Amino acid sequence: MIGRDVFRQVVVGAAILALFLAVPLLGLGEYWIYILTIGFYYAILASSWSLLVGYVGRISFAHVAMSGLGAYTSVVASGRFDLPLMLSIPLAGLVTGIVGLAIGRLCLRLHGAYLALTTIAFSEIVRITITAEHEVTRGSLGLAAVGLFETTERIPYYYSFLALLVTCLLIMWLVLRSRIGLFFVAIREDEDAAASLGVKVVRWKIFAFTFSSVIAGIAGSFYAHFVQLVTPSMMSIQEMGFVLSMAVVGGFQNIFYAALGGIFLEVLLETLREIGEWRMTLFAVVVILILRFAPNGLFGELMRLALARRTRT
Amino acid sequence: MGETLGDGIGHSTTTAQAWLAAQSCNDMSLLAFSEQVINGLIIGIFYALAALGLSLIFGVLKIVNFAHGELYMLGGFVYYVFASLLGLPPVAAVLVVCAVLFLIGMAVEHLLIDPVHRGKVERADEYTIMITFGLAILLQNLLLSVFGPWTKRPEAIFRGRIEIGELIISGDRLTAAGVGVVLIGLILYLLRYTWAGKAMRAVSQDRETASVVGVNAKLTGMLAFGLGSALAGAAGALIGPVFLVYPTMGVIPVIKAYVIVVLGGLGSVPGAILGALILAQVENLATVLIPDTTRALAYKDAYGLVLLVLVLVFRPQGLFGEKVRRS
Repeated sequence: MIGRDVFRQVVVGAAILALFLAVPLLGLGEYWIYILTIGFYYAILASSWSLLVGYVGRISFAHVAMSGLGAYTSVVASGRFDLPLMLSIPLAGLVTGIVGLAIGRLCLRLHGAYLALTTIAFSEIVRITITAEHEVTRGSLGLAAVGLFETTERIPYYYSFLALLVTCLLIMWLVLRSRIGLFFVAIREDEDAAASLGVKVVRWKIFAFTFSSVIAGIAGSFYAHFVQLVTPSMMSIQEMGFVLSMAVVGGFQNIFYAALGGIFLEVLLETLREIGEWRMTLFAVVVILILRFAPNGLFGELMRLALARRTRT
Repeated sequence: MGETLGDGIGHSTTTAQAWLAAQSCNDMSLLAFSEQVINGLIIGIFYALAALGLSLIFGVLKIVNFAHGELYMLGGFVYYVFASLLGLPPVAAVLVVCAVLFLIGMAVEHLLIDPVHRGKVERADEYTIMITFGLAILLQNLLLSVFGPWTKRPEAIFRGRIEIGELIISGDRLTAAGVGVVLIGLILYLLRYTWAGKAMRAVSQDRETASVVGVNAKLTGMLAFGLGSALAGAAGALIGPVFLVYPTMGVIPVIKAYVIVVLGGLGSVPGAILGALILAQVENLATVLIPDTTRALAYKDAYGLVLLVLVLVFRPQGLFGEKVRRS
């Protein structure tokens, strides 16, 4: 029974992937190709954030700060020190990994909300520092970045972001399917019980936080070389709220639902352009309602309904 | 407290202060030094007002309120509406702010936090963090939609300068700090001597046992959240005229409040007050001691993080906190 459910989920996943692969061939305008590409970036952020929140049960508010840190690392390394992107993007992952490891070691020995408290402070400090150091970062004006490709066409970027998203999701899925995934869930359910059974609780919490930070850093550096401009605003609390909304609306207890939530909310954000600032107000209300009444998220609930109906017939 | 981006006037005055501070650094006279210390003390009282509410809420409900900065911001806006748009006397407007924020806080606790205690929520820890953060995003964008991103400067309780001997202190800060001290004193009295205060202390020690001996834990939780919100709102109302009112005004102050409650020990009331005074002096003196003034000022908000890291490394339970249960 469970095997058939997994099979169905794989079929649904493959169908969605095929749809996104075919989208540029369906004659969608350049503009929507661009929006979907940004949607893929947010999908990577939302799913890697969910890896930490939904599976390990720890919350980081520094996810967009990590993405911004990765973006600035790669842009400064490639722009000032003429490093090729082949090296500067992995460097971004390395830097965010080291920072993640340091923060994780500092806060994750402790119970409770310390990670959330420290990361929210950290993300604001990173934003302040990057704004203040204008000799290197040009402050809030932002820093121009070289493109991933020579061409200005949208299609190569679309497919490379789709490929990056699929790669990240596959790697996370493989990790979650391994023993490590079981450690994560054990920690989420009962940290003390997990420790008593020999799970190195602190080590795996730090691993999860570092892992999700590295993914955010790499996603951020790709994003910087796609929009070809980095500004401190990409790591604001508002951005973090947006990523959290995506994960919660999609369903933060599953990386795939969170990824879909990322694409869905980015497209919705563009569709509702007319109502301006009220969009985020609306999203925040929806987030609160979903958290309170449907914690599986939109896609989690849809999948649950679909599976329940099929098993009944 | 919130001299961040976007407040033209607040920024230029602080730059002037930093310049003065740098001048006084050359010959650190007693006068300049005591001026710095008094300024730090005033800022410390503002910090204490914000951190105290956070600590109260954590103590009773065992949750960190990630919407605290936005309740502070809301206080600033309610004060702006009543004092500047409707023309109420400033002190009366502060009281209105306290009442409004108290009711909002009670409602938030009832609607969003209490379901945790009724067992209606899975993963309570993650839920409370995310739901209060969601509330923060909601309030920020709601106020942004209604009032726009521009800064407002509401009426102060008292404008002008106060001279004590050779010391010159701006009157709006000093009176705001004075009202702040009264409010803090009121809360301390409430916690120590009234029945409601005893109930709050009882629930913060042990929710189950307090319920057994007849304390209404649900009502006490609502009361704590209401009082905490009222304190945050009062802080916003008092500081609004000094550092201006705008939708993101709560972001930096609340991060300082987090640093303070971790420094003082999560849930400790004296810890919150002492932590606030310490952080204010650390920021103040660090700004003076770093030679490059513009840079020293730009990083003013970052010194708290250094303090936070030191606490987490050397004394994670904080100054007054109980030792955290380890796995």
